[in-house]
Amino acid sequence: MVGPQYDLVGNPLGAVRATFERTAAAAAAESGGSDPVAAFRGKDWGACDLFRSFLLEEDGLDKVPVLNASNLGLIKPNTLVRYRGMVQDMLGNEYYIGAFKDGSTWRTNKFTDFSPFSMPHPCDSHLWERHLFHCVPAPGQNSWTMESSPGPDLRRMSSCLATELREKRKRDGDKDDMDVSENGHEESSALCKKPKEDDVHVSSGSNEVAEGVPEMNRGDHIPGSSFSCLVKVYDMPDSQVKLNDVIEFIGVYTFDPELAAPSDNPDDIMLDLIEDVIVQLPPSKVPRLHCLVWRKLSPHDFISRPPVVEPSPSILKGIRQSLLSHLTLVLGNDELAAQCLLLHLLSRLRNRVDLVTVGRLSLNFTGFNRESASIFGNQLYSLIQKLVPYSQAIPMSIEYLNTATLQPRKDNKSGRLVTGVLQLPQGSHLTFDETLLQTGSLTSKGVENTMLLKNLMESQKVDYDFEYYKLDMATDVQLLTLSEGKSNILPSDLVVPFRPSSVPTIDAGSEELENWRWYLATVRSLPQSTEPETYQMIQDEMVSAMRDDRSLGCSELSRWLTMAQIMASSFGEKSLSLEHWQMVKELERLRKQRLQ
Amino acid sequence: MASNGGGSSPPSASSPDARPSSPFPVTNSSPTQSTRRSGGRRRRGSASPYPSSPSLGGFETPPHPGRRTPSGAGAGAARQQRQNWTGRFPPTPSTPMSTDDIPPSSDAGDDETDGAGAGVDATPVFVWGTNISVQDVNAAILRFLRHFRDPRDAGRVDPVMDEGKYMRAIHRILELEGGESLDVDAHDVFDHDPDLYSKMVRYPLEVLAIFDIVLMDLVARIEPLFEKHIQTRIYNLKSSICLRNLNPSDIEKMVSIKGMIIRCSSVIPELREAVFRCLVCGFYSEPIMVDRGRVTEPHICQKEQCKATNSMTLVHNRCRFADKQIIKLQETPDEIAEGGTPHTVSVLMHDKLVDAGKPGDRVEITGIYRAMSIRVGPAQRTVKSIFKTYIDCLHVKKTDKSRLHVDTMDIDNSNANNSTEEDFLSDKVEKLKELSKLPDIYDRLTRSLAPNIWELDDVKRGLLCQLFGGNPLKLPSGASFRGDINILLVGDPGTSKSQLLQYMHKLSPRGIYTSGRGSSAVGLTAYVAKDPETGETVLESGALVLSDKGVCCIDEFDKMSDNARSMLHEVMEQQTVSIAKAGIIASLNARTSVLACANPTESRYNPRLSVIDNIHLAPTLLSRFDLIYLILDKADEQTDRRLAKHIVSLHFENPNLEELEVLDLPTLVAYISYARKYIQPQLSDEAAEELTRGYVEMRKRGNSPGSRKKVITATARQIESLIRLSEALARMRFSEVVEVRDVVEAFRLLEVAMQQSATDHATGTIDMDLIMTGISASERQRRENLVAATRNLIMEKMQLGGPSMRMTELLEEMRKQSSMEIQLHDLRGALGTLMTEGAVVIHGDNVKRV
Repeated sequence: MVGPQYDLVGNPLGAVRATFERTAAAAAAESGGSDPVAAFRGKDWGACDLFRSFLLEEDGLDKVPVLNASNLGLIKPNTLVRYRGMVQDMLGNEYYIGAFKDGSTWRTNKFTDFSPFSMPHPCDSHLWERHLFHCVPAPGQNSWTMESSPGPDLRRMSSCLATELREKRKRDGDKDDMDVSENGHEESSALCKKPKEDDVHVSSGSNEVAEGVPEMNRGDHIPGSSFSCLVKVYDMPDSQVKLNDVIEFIGVYTFDPELAAPSDNPDDIMLDLIEDVIVQLPPSKVPRLHCLVWRKLSPHDFISRPPVVEPSPSILKGIRQSLLSHLTLVLGNDELAAQCLLLHLLSRLRNRVDLVTVGRLSLNFTGFNRESASIFGNQLYSLIQKLVPYSQAIPMSIEYLNTATLQPRKDNKSGRLVTGVLQLPQGSHLTFDETLLQTGSLTSKGVENTMLLKNLMESQKVDYDFEYYKLDMATDVQLLTLSEGKSNILPSDLVVPFRPSSVPTIDAGSEELENWRWYLATVRSLPQSTEPETYQMIQDEMVSAMRDDRSLGCSELSRWLTMAQIMASSFGEKSLSLEHWQMVKELERLRKQRLQ
Repeated sequence: MASNGGGSSPPSASSPDARPSSPFPVTNSSPTQSTRRSGGRRRRGSASPYPSSPSLGGFETPPHPGRRTPSGAGAGAARQQRQNWTGRFPPTPSTPMSTDDIPPSSDAGDDETDGAGAGVDATPVFVWGTNISVQDVNAAILRFLRHFRDPRDAGRVDPVMDEGKYMRAIHRILELEGGESLDVDAHDVFDHDPDLYSKMVRYPLEVLAIFDIVLMDLVARIEPLFEKHIQTRIYNLKSSICLRNLNPSDIEKMVSIKGMIIRCSSVIPELREAVFRCLVCGFYSEPIMVDRGRVTEPHICQKEQCKATNSMTLVHNRCRFADKQIIKLQETPDEIAEGGTPHTVSVLMHDKLVDAGKPGDRVEITGIYRAMSIRVGPAQRTVKSIFKTYIDCLHVKKTDKSRLHVDTMDIDNSNANNSTEEDFLSDKVEKLKELSKLPDIYDRLTRSLAPNIWELDDVKRGLLCQLFGGNPLKLPSGASFRGDINILLVGDPGTSKSQLLQYMHKLSPRGIYTSGRGSSAVGLTAYVAKDPETGETVLESGALVLSDKGVCCIDEFDKMSDNARSMLHEVMEQQTVSIAKAGIIASLNARTSVLACANPTESRYNPRLSVIDNIHLAPTLLSRFDLIYLILDKADEQTDRRLAKHIVSLHFENPNLEELEVLDLPTLVAYISYARKYIQPQLSDEAAEELTRGYVEMRKRGNSPGSRKKVITATARQIESLIRLSEALARMRFSEVVEVRDVVEAFRLLEVAMQQSATDHATGTIDMDLIMTGISASERQRRENLVAATRNLIMEKMQLGGPSMRMTELLEEMRKQSSMEIQLHDLRGALGTLMTEGAVVIHGDNVKRV
């Protein structure tokens, strides 16, 4: 009923206000005018539902432009945008006047930084809160993930929008006010007029800004590098969003020149002292986004092919075969290595019991030297880049270890979390090139960094430094190490001597890549079921394996089981069968042969 | 209030008596806003706390000044005046409430109830926007102060003490003249008058202002010449709120939150009273109070003769300033939700509270949560709709200073005087103490250590002893005995030695984990080394120095270079490391326990060789280990199956870790660090006796002919080890006394460690069937029973020195007698034990009693 009346993309706040005023009026009529708005605290009055249905059900999502560094200046303030990013820091809550009474009408400030209407001094008002998240583009996000969700071409859009939308918005504003009066608020025209003027004023102000922004930004931004966004999320139960989650926020992009101006208010010393983190994030560099709808992103969301609930094993098997043969080619016809790499790419953290992590499978290819690492390593890494959403290659050299900031650290002076290399979204892939590591001394920072990496390898946890204490953050990162001999600095689960027999020269077609991405994402999310028989079978197998080889320990057997499980899912099977267990045993046998 | 986490319940809407929007709108309009900000608590900070505005008026909006009845205000106004001109004019109480009107010790409740407003009209006076009636609250506070009796004092019948708790406190303040604040336990207020308590929590600004006035009145009546202002400091609220759960409904309410101070601003002097001087005639003005953050500079010189205009200048050194400080409080690590970052809040401290805590301290703060609107600039068009929040602090209580888990050691190292009794939260300590009283705490601790590593119970017990440690002893002569217990694990590959090491490394406060291959042991720098042949990279680090006061875990001890290993000699006994650098020999402390693990010489244990030959380490080094565990892998389907089952259950997400009652990791860490810090057990006489007896016996056994080279004989070092172990065992029970049972257990541990019960002392080899390591308590019990049964049987059936008996015959007899399922190898084990006791001799299959 409301949907068509408003341009939800161009003037989302109009819709927000209209729904608010309507609901408030209805509530007021019902409750006899006592305080209709009080009940809205921490709740939505229907605005979010409106947007949700528009975006997700009516395919409105495609009409919403994606906010990124390149189009920051082009997007008009107070319009609907999308932003995909990783929650890098949580800046706590912010209190704002959520609703106030303007004459006899209740108005809302939700989803804006400023009140579009001037607030009459002393007036009835309500204080509400919203969560602040500092978001950055997910570290290591690979370029293919960007292609999957191109919004409308802004450059083309903005040229016509600039004029057209302006007109439209004005009209919208008019309609807004008309709506209000139609809804039975018999107000004096003076009251009605004033906000209107104000509204126009705001829009013209922001219009200037829109033109002003590009100059301000151009110097500071290398597109895609440090483009961060301050997202304000409303009505969210605590702990729904976790640090390092990658989330798509859809909301109102706001920019106000007055916020940008440095506040020079020296007489109020209190303000300087209770200083704000936000002060360090000037709106000219860090856009504000008032989130209406958000959703967590999984690897599937980057793939254009829709996720299938029950993928048929035959399709999966086919793709598996093609991926495996490609991996084999890239690895110079080393099939064993390719098999292990496939299992590695499919691994994910399944469970965490005490200090034990289940499901991870970090891989260490040995037998590289600098030359072969540059040939195979680069090929391998560029393939991984094309397959997984987030990946990074880390050159392990003495210098790197001694200088890099791996550990995220809370800077209590500024109140912000200073990111480190190891602040990664769940499911990231890291490739370490240890062939670069020469003998040399480590500084204390170097030692700290190696400890961090080792801890990450062993328990999939990263210590965040909070100055007075360390906080363990659970991660799920796939770790691949290329080294000359077995790496003792980065102890991997699986050590495979790499034996290439040819030099790779091939490239994969884009359709194949699509398939493989879909395959990886699907298989990794495949659930595993367990039947009691499997249980028993595995136990028997383990006992007999132990009888044959007394040197088998808990960690090895556990790894075998992990591999067998991944092996089963790689064929699209939901439960583990003896066949897969045997395949893993065979792999292990071949691997042990090489180790000798 | 605290449960209002998601901020879902609209507080104001639900309470009909409260004007819902009362505190907030005022914050918008600048004049009123500053009244609220500066007019409330801040003012209380100054020694003469009531500046220019009438105190209660501050809480009323201008439109309603007339609503206050004159007599009701009388008390306040009178005090008010007196305060303002204090020291200048003698106090002239002009109201009916003079000192002799109501004697301070009066216990007649009646006159107090209407004390504030004797003979007034009946219409109650409410503070605007609240349900607070000034007179009621006034009277309630007076009642509370006068009549509150601490229930704990109830038993005492002391006429002198017959005054209420707070009256005594007031008297004390007056006597000492030092205290400027009265600490009021909110629990007391609640016990005495729940209604007052709830009013105080909901409208703290108003109620506390009245509180102060009542207090000053009281004081004035007792001691009319007392001039200092006494502040009320409320603490110990009924419920404390989690920082994360603060929400808009808490604004302007009294809250109590726990957190850690992460930053302190420098102390800011805040002008309270300004003095001006006339530049023309040099006349000093009367001190002018700072009102709402502003001083009104007099335009005209007040001196009659001068009357110069615009001639007044501020005289800084005559002005009075008060201290102010802003600190940042952050959530403590245990309150942070999984996957979140800690929240922070600013706290405003005044006067005495300044520097009450320093960064890193854990405190509980009671204060008023406030919000302040942000103005964007001087020429703002609209007030930004955003608020900044802070807590106006009333009371700071330090909860515990140290970081319990990680750095307990660190702290007493770096800052020795920092460690106080407050380190552990008292309720936490209570819990730990309760735990320590459990009869099965020893077993429980054992189970809790590396619960996902199976069997190896006795090894775990040894490791537990290492974590708890013994008492280091320093004799006046200068000789010192270490308290650290060193352990060596020697065993077959695949017996989860490394996992145990990893676990210990995680558990111990300053653990260092290193591989023997990469340990230069003493170096101060870390170095990346590369094996020239295989290209394997290793990190060489000076592990020992780094793990001072912790546990140094050395994996692959056998692969350590001899050079590095020899350095361990010094470390493990003298606990220092000597480093020669640039011609200077530096001796560094390395008070560390060493936990090493090694594979046997031939990588697998060779049963045909003696224990010593299998371990193959220099005896000098071996003797420095208190416990040497042989973890031998005995092919046993049962154990294998359990291991397999365990792994499978881990993977299939139903970790049925046999719901044993285990302590979780943080509790275990807390338990250990508490014990290490506060429990210093001493040997009891009986225990000492037992030690001597046992030691002599041990020596005897080692001295049997031919065995000297094959088994590890007891040396004087062993008795030290035993003392350390017994002390550690006593510590586990939080016992200050080492009892006989500790000593007995220490002996048992030592014996089990070396598989001594399974060692053939004649040849020094181990009977693989008798291996005890990794046998659970119940299994051990079963074996002990079997040994006892066998002993009885032999006593019964065989003559001393009589003919021998075949083992199978014995087995038959045993099966007849007992209900237990007995296998031949069980019996063999039992007989082996008896043999070491010297009760029988076994030749091949024949048993002979001796």
